[in-house]
Amino acid sequence: MEVSSLPISASHRAKLISAGYISISSLSSISPAHLARDLGISENEATGILKVASQRGGPERTIPSHHSIVDGAQTAWDMLHEEESCRRITTSCADLDDILGGGISCKEVTEIGGVPGIGKTQLGIQLAINVQIPLEYGGLAGKAVYIDTEGSFMVERVQQVAEACIKDMQEYDSFLRKDLPARQVNLQANDFLANIYYFRICSYTEQIAVINYLEKFISEHKDIKVVIVDSITFHFRQDFDDMALRTRLLGGMALKLMKLAKKFTLAVILLNQVTTKYSGGSFQLTLALGDSWSHACTNRIILYWNGNGRYAHIDKSPSIRSASAPYAVTGRGIRNLASNCKRVKLM
Amino acid sequence: MAPLKSLESEYPIIDSDFRQFCASHAIFSVEDFLVHDIYVLMALAEEHDTSDRLKQAITQVLSIIDAQHQPWLDGLQLLGYSQKSKSILSTGCERIDAFLRGGFQEGILTELVGPSSSGKTQVCLLAASNVTKSGLGRVLFLDTGNSFSPTRVAQFVSSSSELADTESSKILPQVLDNIECRSVFDIFTLLDVLHQLLQNLRYQVGQNLRMLIIDSVSSLITPVLGGAGTHGHALMASAGFMLKKLAYEYNLSVLMTNHMVAGDGGMIKPALGESWKSIPHIRLLLSRGVLNNICSMSILRHPSMAIGERVEFAIL
Repeated sequence: MEVSSLPISASHRAKLISAGYISISSLSSISPAHLARDLGISENEATGILKVASQRGGPERTIPSHHSIVDGAQTAWDMLHEEESCRRITTSCADLDDILGGGISCKEVTEIGGVPGIGKTQLGIQLAINVQIPLEYGGLAGKAVYIDTEGSFMVERVQQVAEACIKDMQEYDSFLRKDLPARQVNLQANDFLANIYYFRICSYTEQIAVINYLEKFISEHKDIKVVIVDSITFHFRQDFDDMALRTRLLGGMALKLMKLAKKFTLAVILLNQVTTKYSGGSFQLTLALGDSWSHACTNRIILYWNGNGRYAHIDKSPSIRSASAPYAVTGRGIRNLASNCKRVKLM
Repeated sequence: MAPLKSLESEYPIIDSDFRQFCASHAIFSVEDFLVHDIYVLMALAEEHDTSDRLKQAITQVLSIIDAQHQPWLDGLQLLGYSQKSKSILSTGCERIDAFLRGGFQEGILTELVGPSSSGKTQVCLLAASNVTKSGLGRVLFLDTGNSFSPTRVAQFVSSSSELADTESSKILPQVLDNIECRSVFDIFTLLDVLHQLLQNLRYQVGQNLRMLIIDSVSSLITPVLGGAGTHGHALMASAGFMLKKLAYEYNLSVLMTNHMVAGDGGMIKPALGESWKSIPHIRLLLSRGVLNNICSMSILRHPSMAIGERVEFAIL
């Protein structure tokens, strides 16, 4: 095993190689003081390097007694059971929930993209509310993190959607428990608002910093069940001269979000904008941020207009069949398409 | 290799006397040793009082160096060896099997390249379910994008088997138990896991691992590739080297997925650049047509098939 594959700084790596320590086994029986003298670094730094090297392990490992092939692996059977017991976040639109297999699933990164005005922020707000629905009503009783890069988060609208959600829960209650005395839903719209952690981002460095910080934040607030980034594209579309740097930053950000989703079993929702691409002789609408970003999500949903109605189409998913469903944006939030829904005509 | 003094703990014959003798000829590490003329060194050792010990130490260092490489094989031995132990694993789709002359070969690296949503993960899941369903062995799935779906694998197992529904639900636990999934989110963790896998396979004889799937290797390498230094390239090369070693020594079929990036003239090309091109033995390009269920696979690189040959298939 090579020392160059250890996660240590470039200067330490160069010093190790020039002193002759090329393989990890050569670091296995050396003391920190000795290493510090050899490399000309402080003893603390030497101890750090030796710790990283020992984590990689040496040829004197004892035979592992556990059943799995590598540490941290899970069998598909266990994962299947976990998946079955994992709840999904409903979108409040029955058709959309149907094609999604019940709603947005936790442990996955879902990208939602569409033309301006199609309802991406509305869907984001609806999901931030719906994640807080109590367990008795089929929700997750969790909290939400809303990372706003465009400033489109309107608190009055969130209050409106929250109140509509509470009314829905009361209706559901009275419908199901017709024979029993009515149970009051002890939630106010303010409770819903208090459970949304809001971050306002003004540049791409802030965006990367917040995503790096999220791991610590979520380990302190364990009941966060959804992270919504609205939108992931905004700060990466302008002022970027170095496209290669942008690809690297986006790749790193995508991996961090994936890790968050898996480690804390939460849903990560990324809202994306559209751009035009010249392919096959014509201009087509595609999601922004390029080809390499299209692999950064587990699922992708594209929202589009069809005549006067809004539709959602599942573009990419490892387990859900590709399908489309109509939905509507109403005063109460995202709902099923009613027959008299009209597209707002802009003057 | 390390300075000579670190070898003393394992090989006590390389003691301070020997090291002093070597130092007097400007030999401090094993590399210096290799560069020096061994006959001249032996002759100089003769003139010393402790010449026997010195000569023994020289022979010891030479044998350590000899142990570093694989034994020589001739062509006939290689052919017999590969025919006997390296079989071909069916992919689970008849058309792909016919196209690839049997399926995914053991002992080599196969790469699936394609734009987003072209079916790469589906082919991987299908292959994994097929290997375990036929009872051939275990599969390790390294997942970088949370795209391993046990429900989808269960669907593949129950839909493709010729058994009745009740029987296939009985075999489902054993089949799914043989697929292990590990999430990997950066290149260093991948190298850790591959190293651990090498160690585990070395110490346990009947591990029964037949297939290693990495979905996707490009998302791990893209954040470190490029930029100011060449460290990213070195990491990519180490990952490729370890995968080849795993495949060759333990007869694994290694499946990797890669994505596409924009190239010259508006065409898209596989990611990871020119240096990655030589690492997979077989490169297959996947694409999905306008009708969502029909995918096509064509050859980008293959040791025995022509580039450009293609097949169309559907994964239901």
